[in-house]
Amino acid sequence: MSHDTDRRDPGDVGPGFMDAAELTIREGIARYVIGFVLASLLTAASFYVLNTSLIWGPGIPVALVVLAIAQMGVHLVLFLHITTAPDNTNNVLALAFGVLIVALVIGGSLWIMDHLNQNMMPMHQMMQMQR
Amino acid sequence: MSATDTPFDRAGDPYRVGRSRDWLSEGAGRGYVHVTGHGEGGPASKRVIVGYGFWIFLLSDIVMFSAFFAAHAVLQTATAGGPSGRELFNWWSIVLQTAFLLVSSFTCGLSAVATEARNQLWTQIALLVTGLFGLAFLVLEGRDFAAMVMQGAGPDRSAFLSSLFAVVGLHGLHVSAGLLWLGTMMAQVFVKGFRPDILRRLVCFNLFWHALDIIWVALFTVVYLIGLGR
Amino acid sequence: MFGKLTWQAIPWDQPIPLVAGSVVVLIVLAILALVVLKGYLPYLWHEWITSVDHKRIGVMYTLLGLVMLLRGFIDAIMMRSQQAAAFRAAGYLPPEHYAQIFSAHGTIMIFFAAMPIMIGLMNFAVPLQLGVRDVAFPTLNSTSFWLTATGALLVNISLVVGEFARTGWLVYPPLSELPYSPGVGVDYYLWALLISGVGTLMTGINFVTTILKIRAPGMSYLRMTIFCWTALAANLLIVAAFPILTATLGMLALDRYLGFHFFTNEAGGNMMMFINLIWAWGHPEVYILVLPAFGIFSEVISTFSGKPLFNYRSMVAATMFICLVSYMVWLHHFFTMGAGADVNAFFGISTSIIAVGTGVKIYNWLFTMYGGRIRFTTPMLWSMGFLVTFVIGGMTGVLLAVPPADFLLHNSLFLVAHFHNVIIGGVLFAAFAGITYWFPKAFGFKLDEGWGKAGFWLSLLGFYVVFMPLYVAGLLGMTRRLQHYDVAAWRPWVLVAGIGIIIMMAAAACQVAQFVVSIRRREELRDETGDPWNGRSLEWATTSPPPPFNLAVLPNVQGAEPYWEIKRRAIETQHLSPEPNYEPIEMPRNSPTGFITAFFSTITGFALIWHIWWLVGLGLVAAYAVFVWFAWRDAVEYSIPAEEVARYDRERRRAREQWLAQHAGQPA
Repeated sequence: MSHDTDRRDPGDVGPGFMDAAELTIREGIARYVIGFVLASLLTAASFYVLNTSLIWGPGIPVALVVLAIAQMGVHLVLFLHITTAPDNTNNVLALAFGVLIVALVIGGSLWIMDHLNQNMMPMHQMMQMQR
Repeated sequence: MSATDTPFDRAGDPYRVGRSRDWLSEGAGRGYVHVTGHGEGGPASKRVIVGYGFWIFLLSDIVMFSAFFAAHAVLQTATAGGPSGRELFNWWSIVLQTAFLLVSSFTCGLSAVATEARNQLWTQIALLVTGLFGLAFLVLEGRDFAAMVMQGAGPDRSAFLSSLFAVVGLHGLHVSAGLLWLGTMMAQVFVKGFRPDILRRLVCFNLFWHALDIIWVALFTVVYLIGLGR
Repeated sequence: MFGKLTWQAIPWDQPIPLVAGSVVVLIVLAILALVVLKGYLPYLWHEWITSVDHKRIGVMYTLLGLVMLLRGFIDAIMMRSQQAAAFRAAGYLPPEHYAQIFSAHGTIMIFFAAMPIMIGLMNFAVPLQLGVRDVAFPTLNSTSFWLTATGALLVNISLVVGEFARTGWLVYPPLSELPYSPGVGVDYYLWALLISGVGTLMTGINFVTTILKIRAPGMSYLRMTIFCWTALAANLLIVAAFPILTATLGMLALDRYLGFHFFTNEAGGNMMMFINLIWAWGHPEVYILVLPAFGIFSEVISTFSGKPLFNYRSMVAATMFICLVSYMVWLHHFFTMGAGADVNAFFGISTSIIAVGTGVKIYNWLFTMYGGRIRFTTPMLWSMGFLVTFVIGGMTGVLLAVPPADFLLHNSLFLVAHFHNVIIGGVLFAAFAGITYWFPKAFGFKLDEGWGKAGFWLSLLGFYVVFMPLYVAGLLGMTRRLQHYDVAAWRPWVLVAGIGIIIMMAAAACQVAQFVVSIRRREELRDETGDPWNGRSLEWATTSPPPPFNLAVLPNVQGAEPYWEIKRRAIETQHLSPEPNYEPIEMPRNSPTGFITAFFSTITGFALIWHIWWLVGLGLVAAYAVFVWFAWRDAVEYSIPAEEVARYDRERRRAREQWLAQHAGQPA
């Protein structure tokens, strides 16, 4: 296509561009270091939560999910440079769409399968009936 | 800024919420308005196109993983009399795998910095370290799988194990493909230098590798950590 | 050495597939011989097979779809005739064979007829309507097409070598698992769809990126045509849904090949999980088919009513509403499978709600026609046929959306009639409308109106004669997929449906005749200016056929319906806008990557089906080698010099000026 292949768009940015914010090398490295440290802390926290009684038992899965979402956020913002600036709108919307679909698939499947499993005879019982 | 912008526009309303397109377009030759992605400036540049397209691909890949996650969530208790997660998981291996993948994600990011600085040596070093940690991750995962199969807890033992091997294995398959790609990219950067199309591919690889780590976060949380409780 | 493949794989003892297969093989060999001997191969290789031009790829997709439509239709003829004959009798098709036929019919029609035609039309028209030169990833586009062709090829090979699945088009387990389907049939299905699914997913990525990031200057979102909006919605759905298909069929493949237990009877497998996931794909899939169809009708109806589309914004809203809600209704495909009242209620309500979006669109089309000056051309006839037929199908759908009603009608012929009603009335009619509408743009001459109208009327009549009786039979209790039946009350309806299929055969003959006659009469039917229908959108600004670069200069879009504005101004001022500044244009080079990738995919797929493991390994290595070879390319684009662009565009302007002079004084 007859457009400049290497120019920067003033109003539009793809995901993951380091030069989107026109950072210096030091700033760039700092971002990754901060991201790495935060992610490590969150990971350690997950393992810690699991192995101690800091969180009340039934609340552990919730805590783990929260920590996981936080860590994904760290990855998205600090490693993938997804921001909420106007030039990133398409990227954020695409991500939101993906998250919605994932939520529908996983949430919907769990809801449906839970009901089905409750209402339907377990397989091994059904097989025994046939013998 | 373009002639159609009033002082009110950019400062308080960067997304131009509620602005009618007709208002902006009245009169010919007003020039291009630099509004976010509304296409007013014509086709985007190749770097944006390639990056965005790959981002959409990554989202589709995440949807595929979500189907396997959903299957695993449903089948997590279908152990059919066989071993459950609690009996099988090798915790140190999982901790190390998580650490290795996170480090490789970090070094991948450093390679992006080196690429921006157009430094061949540091780019190659960072990519190499990324690959080595990725390989270490795979080795540990492979050993875990082999050990489970040896114990009679292979994917053909129960639906729970099938879904475990499938979702973790799919991630491992992506990492393997990523390593093949990484090797090819290292060779390309070495031979062809920092050409625009090579740079675009490096951006895609970066996105891919970081996305794999994001998926691993979900994976070890749901499969291993939450799965332990069952 | 050859895995499970032996000479017994060819159906020597079954006359129908043997004869059918031999005929097909002979025809294919004859065509190949013709092509090679007449020296067309270099032309085909350089201009079509290795082309990355969206227009060429669109034509190839559509052609593939039409050929497979014929194959699927033959399956339908066999099914209808078998049922017409098999009242308290055996008919002529043994049950194992009949099962393969209805499975192949569904698989082919959805994946290799309807999808390719819709994708082909989107490929052809969307970049032209956006006023740009090509899609975001042209070589990926070519690869998508060839991978789809691979899938179609594998399904057709199953006719001659081996067998096809006997499970229905959605291969429900446990029937599709190894103990109950030990043959290669389900494997053919799995690999054909896994491979072509990758191609379709890549198309989705390609078009979402194109529509969101590559448009002519000034073309904001609300200045795109509705066809582009529906293409966006459909491709978003492809990106969101096809990964689920890949995952689910992948799980089934893992069960069959590596002894996994996702959906098996024993070791804790849960076959309802398959049904849940496959329909989580399956419902968005039908919207992937029908949304571009709605877009085509929007274009056709507004063009041939001579009016802009009524209430453009509500059309956009309805389109995106349908896109979103289509992901929240999938359980209505298995109301009867035990999810319970509250789950059923939620999905029943959401299914009824999604009909509102389509209702909005129907009213908008009607109001577009109202007060317009309607031209009853073939595309317009298809659209009007759609308006009536689709509404009926939609209403039966809303009826089925009520779970208690569905408990009686699930898997009956009522259901079969419903989905054929909406797919034929919606997707097939749109396919023919779109093909007739854009044919002159693609090839430079119109299709013969007489044969086109005959084809339309016979199709319309044939559709009603086949499917309305099936609604009745369904209400009387007849289930689907019956190889024979003994209930006398159903007989008259099945017989009428059998007559209807003969009418549809006549319709198909008319459609074929339309193409043959039009090609023969192409000089009389020639499109001189590039705007044969007095169109409103940007594709009609180009010549017919357009040059590889579509437009010499990207337009500066200043409102919706940009081409209509350009034309109006030209007619009022009686001359064209001033000649633009011509610059050299960079176009992507052709590439054999797509074809070669598909070639090795076919081999790998065939090897996987027959368990020829060394060949699988070879195929995968070759695929990686192709990837590296493609990645190593240095020359990616070629340049068209400004003088050639100028020469070409001046030809186009001369034709338009001639038209202006001939039509001086006439209003737009």
